[in-house]
Amino acid sequence: MSSAAIETRGLGKRYGRVRALEDLSLRVEEGEVFGFLGPNGAGKTTTIRLLLGLLRPSAGAATVLGRAAAPGAAEVRGDLGYLPGELALWPAFTGAHTLAFLERLSGRPAVDRAALVGRLGLTTAELDRAVHGYSDGMKQKLGIVQALQCRPKLALLDEPTKGLDPLVQREFYAVLADARRQGMTIFFSSHVISEAERVCDRVGMLRAGKLVSVGTVEELRRAQRRRVIAVFGDDVDAAALAHFGEVVEREARRVVLQVAQEELPALVARLGMMPLVDLVVEPPSLEEVFLERYR
Amino acid sequence: MSAGAGTLLGHHWRRHRTALVMLCLGMALFQGIITRVAPSPEQASFLRNLLQMAPGPVLQALGEQITANLSARGFLAFFYVHPFPLLMLAVWSIRVSAGALAREIGQGTMDLIASRPVTRASQVTAALIALLAGLALIAAAAWAGTAIGLFSRPIPEVRATDYLPAAFQLWLLFAAFGGVGLLISASHKEGGPAIALLAGLMAVSFALDYLARVWQPIHGLRPLSLFRYYDPQAILRQGLAGADALVLVGVAVVTAIAAYAVFAWRDL
Repeated sequence: MSSAAIETRGLGKRYGRVRALEDLSLRVEEGEVFGFLGPNGAGKTTTIRLLLGLLRPSAGAATVLGRAAAPGAAEVRGDLGYLPGELALWPAFTGAHTLAFLERLSGRPAVDRAALVGRLGLTTAELDRAVHGYSDGMKQKLGIVQALQCRPKLALLDEPTKGLDPLVQREFYAVLADARRQGMTIFFSSHVISEAERVCDRVGMLRAGKLVSVGTVEELRRAQRRRVIAVFGDDVDAAALAHFGEVVEREARRVVLQVAQEELPALVARLGMMPLVDLVVEPPSLEEVFLERYR
Repeated sequence: MSAGAGTLLGHHWRRHRTALVMLCLGMALFQGIITRVAPSPEQASFLRNLLQMAPGPVLQALGEQITANLSARGFLAFFYVHPFPLLMLAVWSIRVSAGALAREIGQGTMDLIASRPVTRASQVTAALIALLAGLALIAAAAWAGTAIGLFSRPIPEVRATDYLPAAFQLWLLFAAFGGVGLLISASHKEGGPAIALLAGLMAVSFALDYLARVWQPIHGLRPLSLFRYYDPQAILRQGLAGADALVLVGVAVVTAIAAYAVFAWRDL
């Protein structure tokens, strides 16, 4: 069994009477790309801030790279890279100075800065300008560079593609893939399901501060009901199919059902006894899994 | 000092250096000009005679020592407690103490600092050093203004070195306010309210000291004001009062320690 880059046990955070995070038990392996999904206010940012020691937990505990995550655990943060969800920069500083200042604070050389700056399309002229003149997309690129420039062992990225155009997003996914190949663990929060589906080994889904599911994208898909479209040569009684799943659409010769994976063999057998002319079984997208969890 | 605190100190310098240079120049210029307009011994004697004709309540409102201070020495000392130099130092205290912690939190930039291997104690230390060093430079600029002024316009029986203890006590006064400011900053999550609270405390403290001096019913409240422990004219007459300095040092140390404790425990 590989060692955990992140491990939480019963982690919780309350703000007065509001429960921002409740009983989160999660393990992220080293070298894994883990997506943390959930709608706004689900507790994703709170989790990341607890892992960084910016917040004190109200319950439970977390370890990051084998060491306790706490405000006093400064040493472990030397191995972390962090991109805040609401990125704020010093407006009067140039991009280059911002990166140099944060490199010095990290205590590690920015071995990947030049490569990241080039890949994300930040020019030297742009880096020499004060940050107050940057667009949101440029700020986000600078945020990504500062998080990854010192080649951290664990990157905590809170909604990293916010404000990036599709071309830069694509390059960012390639950057993540390369970082993963180099052994970096990546924990990122998002509510963009397609990107989690594209880059994550595993995903966790949060709802109202509680972890509702965790697994590989494939596992989550498997647990989700399939959309089955059956087209018949004659009119059929759709009610005869209702006990295999939920009939969501019905026309004279076309029936659409949502069916659990374990019901599929029985359904197919039953359909075989009917005047079936076409059958489509659609695997659920992660988005459908997500929507099902939050419905 | 840790490497993180050193880097943060450089960060403060970069953020506040223009303001610091302006404050130092303003302070030196102000005190330099004051030496140019200080009364000559003859003028001071005339003013003393004139003032003695004023009614008792007016003299009380102007301060008990006003006649004794009507000399070039006293005149220069008065401008060490004038609102202008106090404002210069107050600006620095508020700017650095509130800006270092609460403002970074409020702006969101604290996330980028606190997610690095920098202890929270290093953050407070860097802010404290920036605060005290800046105050020392501004207080030194005040004295330098007096010294340069007296060099260019010598006044009989007035030496620049006489004002060094007053400048030192001025530094101590604002070090105490800076400690209070750092504590306020360490416990707030927005710069604005922290700035307003510290500025309000300074204004109330100044007003309380003045009112308690001229209005007997509240005279007993005067020790509650930090300005009670800073009297440059008394320092000029009697030298530095150890007890006053001790109170200011005590306030600075206790509030700075409290700032360390509060900032170490709070959520960012």
